[in-house]
Amino acid sequence: MALMPKRVKWRKSQRGKLRGYALRGNTVAFGEYGLQCLGTGWITGRQIEAGRVAANHFLHREGKVYVRIFPHKPVSAKPLETRMGKGKGDPEFWVACVKEGTVLYEIAGVEEEVARSALARVSHKMPFRCRFVRRRHGL
Amino acid sequence: MEMLTLKAEPRTPGGTRTARALREKGSLPAIIYGHHEPPEPVTLHEHEVEVAIGHGARTLQVELNGEVKQYLIKEVQYDHLGLAPIHIDLARVDMHERVRVKVAIELRGVPKGVAEGGILEQLLGEVEVECRVTDIPETLRPVVTDMELGHVLCVKDVQLPPGVVAVTPPEDRVAVVKALVEAPEAAAPAVEGEAAAAEPERIGRVRPEEPAEDEGQKAKKKE
Repeated sequence: MALMPKRVKWRKSQRGKLRGYALRGNTVAFGEYGLQCLGTGWITGRQIEAGRVAANHFLHREGKVYVRIFPHKPVSAKPLETRMGKGKGDPEFWVACVKEGTVLYEIAGVEEEVARSALARVSHKMPFRCRFVRRRHGL
Repeated sequence: MEMLTLKAEPRTPGGTRTARALREKGSLPAIIYGHHEPPEPVTLHEHEVEVAIGHGARTLQVELNGEVKQYLIKEVQYDHLGLAPIHIDLARVDMHERVRVKVAIELRGVPKGVAEGGILEQLLGEVEVECRVTDIPETLRPVVTDMELGHVLCVKDVQLPPGVVAVTPPEDRVAVVKALVEAPEAAAPAVEGEAAAAEPERIGRVRPEEPAEDEGQKAKKKE
């Protein structure tokens, strides 16, 4: 089942806008290697889950995968062949809002080459271009 | 530690546009402060700073107005992708002064516990230490080959060079060898309809569902 929050204050939300770059969550914080997003937009809960499964499947229970994003935003849609009006549609899926620079996944406990291959597979599940990043030691 | 001399030029403090214009020319905005003297905004050569940081320098020899002085690198700000530095903070220091700096930890070796099916997890990336400016270590490299499953490496277990004292609490955990816990897999993939129907619980006061007649009532009110 796709990711979604357990409890919410409001069922539906407005679309909002995504401007600028990621000024937080743009460094590798938990693991040793990470996958950084090079686009700005929405990533659905299903895509996030697909990325996690792809990484874990490649790693064969080796290492640890951290998912740094979560789909907090509900997206509503109207059923097919419905006339306009009659209020906002029902929530259809959940998305995470990401900005350019956000670190989406991190991997710890494996060699760089293995992490690179695993994250390359994850990047194919993402709706944006991504790049492989290493943790910065020191300044 | 290698000392590099960089040429700095004084700059008039400005906003984002001024800083951006400087960066386009290959300069790096910087600020020098400390020792109860007024702060001095300066510009450095971006490439020279990158090379110095790449070599693990913690202090910079800067030539400003014909004077060569040693400054401590307090902070380096990077762009949103973490590729290029966009600003640097330099602090005035004496060579015999004791300073507090954060030093990165790089774990060395593969723990015994990893062979037993565990995973080495680094919980702390940096340790704050107090030492003389000349004694600042580039990184701390504790050897973790003897760590078994369930073993924890604390700050007190990390060997520090002579003259260096840890400021971070000694009981803080640096790394741990954990047993891998398998994530519970979903028994069966959810049906499309089910997934869409499942909705999260509402927090707080939830309005009772409006009756079907509401639409008609609204229309009447409009009239």
